[in-house]
Amino acid sequence: MKEIRFRLIIILGAIALSLYLLYPTFQDFQNNKEVGKKLESLSDSIKKSNPVISSIELKEFIQNKKDSILTSNPNYKSARDKRVKLGLDLQGGMYLVMEVNTAKLLERLAKDPDEQFKQLLKEAERETKLSEENVVTILARKMQAKKIRLSRYFGSIREDDADIQNRLLEQESDAVTRAIEIISNRVNQYGVSEPSIQKQGSRRIIVELPGISREEEAKRLLQGRALLEFKLLKDPEFAIPIMNRIDEVLAAKDSSSKTTPVDSTKQLTEEEFAKQHPFFSLARLIDPKGSMADVFVKKSDRETVNNLLNRPEVLKVLPDNVEFIYEAKPEIAEGVEYYRMYMVNKQAELTGGVIVDAQSNIDPTTSAPIVTMQMNAEGSREWARITGSNIGKRCAIVMDGQAYSAPTIQNKISGGNSQISGIPNLDEAKLLEIVLKAGALPAPIDIIEERTVGPSLGQDSISQGFNSMWLGYLIVAIFMIVYYKKAGTMADLGVIVTILLILGILAGFQGTLTLPGIAGIVLTMGMAVDANVLIYERIREELSTGKTVKAAVESGFKHSFSAIFDSNITTFFTGVILYQFGSGPIQGFALTLMIGIAASLFSALVLVRVMFDFMIHKGYKIQVG
Amino acid sequence: MRLFENLNIDFMSKRSLFYLVSSVIITLGALSIIFRGLEFGIDFKGGSEIGIEFTNSIEISQVRNEVEKIGLGNVEVKTFGGSTGVLLRTELQEIPQNILPNVKSKIENIISNTIPGVQKQITDSTNNSITYTFQDDETTDKIYERLNQTGFQTIRLNDNENKNTLVVRLGISDWIKETLSEKFADNPFTVLKEEKVGPKIGSELKRDAVLAVFLSLVVILIYLGFRFKFIFAVGAVAALFHDVLITLGIFSVLYGMIPGFNLEITTSVVAAFLTLVGYSINDTVVVFDRVREYLKIHKTLPLEETMNRAINRTMSRTIITGLTTLLTVFVLMVFGGEVLKGFAFALFIGILTGTYSSIFVASAFVLEVATRTNKKVQF
Repeated sequence: MKEIRFRLIIILGAIALSLYLLYPTFQDFQNNKEVGKKLESLSDSIKKSNPVISSIELKEFIQNKKDSILTSNPNYKSARDKRVKLGLDLQGGMYLVMEVNTAKLLERLAKDPDEQFKQLLKEAERETKLSEENVVTILARKMQAKKIRLSRYFGSIREDDADIQNRLLEQESDAVTRAIEIISNRVNQYGVSEPSIQKQGSRRIIVELPGISREEEAKRLLQGRALLEFKLLKDPEFAIPIMNRIDEVLAAKDSSSKTTPVDSTKQLTEEEFAKQHPFFSLARLIDPKGSMADVFVKKSDRETVNNLLNRPEVLKVLPDNVEFIYEAKPEIAEGVEYYRMYMVNKQAELTGGVIVDAQSNIDPTTSAPIVTMQMNAEGSREWARITGSNIGKRCAIVMDGQAYSAPTIQNKISGGNSQISGIPNLDEAKLLEIVLKAGALPAPIDIIEERTVGPSLGQDSISQGFNSMWLGYLIVAIFMIVYYKKAGTMADLGVIVTILLILGILAGFQGTLTLPGIAGIVLTMGMAVDANVLIYERIREELSTGKTVKAAVESGFKHSFSAIFDSNITTFFTGVILYQFGSGPIQGFALTLMIGIAASLFSALVLVRVMFDFMIHKGYKIQVG
Repeated sequence: MRLFENLNIDFMSKRSLFYLVSSVIITLGALSIIFRGLEFGIDFKGGSEIGIEFTNSIEISQVRNEVEKIGLGNVEVKTFGGSTGVLLRTELQEIPQNILPNVKSKIENIISNTIPGVQKQITDSTNNSITYTFQDDETTDKIYERLNQTGFQTIRLNDNENKNTLVVRLGISDWIKETLSEKFADNPFTVLKEEKVGPKIGSELKRDAVLAVFLSLVVILIYLGFRFKFIFAVGAVAALFHDVLITLGIFSVLYGMIPGFNLEITTSVVAAFLTLVGYSINDTVVVFDRVREYLKIHKTLPLEETMNRAINRTMSRTIITGLTTLLTVFVLMVFGGEVLKGFAFALFIGILTGTYSSIFVASAFVLEVATRTNKKVQF
């Protein structure tokens, strides 16, 4: 009995853990319904107040609203983050495979490309469309055939062809990494919920955008060139008075009570402070003494702050030529994510087209991380002028509207070789390097595969998947009960636990459930009873040789183990291979198949065994058909 | 309930009969693959595909007639799901140059019909899209709405400076949608899915699929070689090969024969092939496991006799597991929807042949080799 108890604890633990892991999914489902209901009335009222609104726009608006409610409200969000993720085929959205256009990259990397080079490149490009070889490899071969050395166009004369070829391939892969950085930034800024951006091989990017169904929208998001700008920060002497004004007009609007200027705050409770200083309570000054005009905004407050800043009365006090921008990456203090916000000149001093190269490094004298960048001739002249006249001021490096750092200009920089310091660590420096280079990223990215699943198909698939699931279960369960009686009932219980474990593990490991994944679960139900069937048949055989029930059960489990193990492990191998080779939905299938094998083995060998042992121990009658 | 109890059939002596049956089926399938070929899905062929669902049921032939006229060459039109769903597919990736002007003038027409004499400016025009800028908010709104209704996927730029700018996509599916929404104005449709696959992806996928199937066979060969004797591993893999060949053959023979069933090779069908490899090996392993056990106990019994016993004793398990799995796969085939149909069908056939081959092919192969080489198999 002691032995049974120990296994029982393990089983109950596994079931409890699965239920615990699945609870957020259930919660999210409830939240979704709740929010959907709330928004229904909103949609009705919009229709009433604005009868000409187009159905597309209304639908989009409601969907966006729903997404933003579900992701911004912390209660909803925590459930949403931990739920079982649905694949694009179930929730609708866009799946894109993109590839760096290596030919264009080579064309831009080449020094003095002549007609012959262009011709060869064109031929190589055509060939690569039909073969699986890389443009670099084909071009190198073509040039070798013509007895032209690669160093004629790339690298230096001393390098041999193989080295250059390797470096070009590296640069290609580098371009992909940079492109991924840019794309993730944009996708996050755009507010796509739960996007997935992955690198595949050396030059492909797979992007999944749930909820997006229009190609042009995706293209603008993914293919447009990144915009890098240098913008001067406003001095604190200029910025802080404006922020005070903003605070004042907001406070005046929110309550009619008299407001006090920010520096006279003495001992106010948080609530009072928030009431009197609606702006500063959300966007706190880093240095209350006013040596810096940087403010911190909590991640969860960003939306609110943006709304405040867009109010007409605020726009009135905000000068036309300035704007607020956030840092791209949050800083974490006491477990809360904060974004730094700067007030900058709207007009950029310089844009990123002038940057030729960037390199992160450790400064040998101060051993602090730095990034050096190089500009072209025109950029160098401009930069020298700008830095010369703004010594001591800070300049933000802004990409696609987000600031990456805001170093102080130390002295006039001529020659186009400038250095950014004041970077907290080397990782940050690396990021800055990527951003700076990305601004000059020369390789366009082609979309080579594109799949869009409309939300209605996704809904259909979900219901079809789940219908198949319970129907499949019902059929198998009835069959097992008819054939094996009581033992069949135990096997059926085992299958339920198996499904519970599969879903629990999926939720726990943030796996994605796809339609083929559901098919994998349905299939697992059919195959899961296999282990039970093997055991039961063996028990029957053992019983027929005249053994006692206890001995028959014992040897039934013992003798069927090797067959169960060998057959399941081979299926598991095919699952692994499938996972490696498949993409998207198919990976989902491989995943549930593999988890299903593990879970069904647990059910058959541990759970059902315990039930048998328990019944024998209590002296109940055991029926194996 | 008990089936196949105390079964005692001499399977092994009839093995030449099974050889005949299997080779006939495989030959027929192979002939069909050679002469009729296999129908590959868009994943492998590349091209554009669009799945739409009409409000009311629709005649496929009507849709086909309309689509034939629009200058896209050969467009396949099939049912998708029930009688309201239509799947259209072409090998083209984008609208051919010669009909691009037609498409553009159609868009012009739509715009000028929506608001006659509207002020507009083409700010950008490529092979894939055309960008218009309008004077004011209201006009842009109306035209945006109208273009989307007629089937041209249009987005409105959302930055403040360009908010009166519309980007209209010029794609295969837009052109098809426009035609259908005009011709079937009384039966509106929604777009279920759209896919566009470049030609390169297809050839890579084919290579990967073949590689994956072979790799799984090799892994199984190695594993079983360790766990059993090498000859058993070869027998098991021969049986798997047999299953894959037969299933492929049946896909080729039956393609286009069953109405409402798109038997084309897609990535999910390839996944089904790998699954059937994994499933079918189960059956074989169970039989071999029993053979291994009996060979250890009855060392003097001839191999043929041992195999017969093993097959007979495991028969009820083989049939019952096959049955429960077939039932669930059948459920998937009927209720799993269009996406899973081909997948479930491949598995259905695969489970049938897998069950057959583990009984009749795998052991027979081992026995055949063992008797011919006069080797004694021992564990």
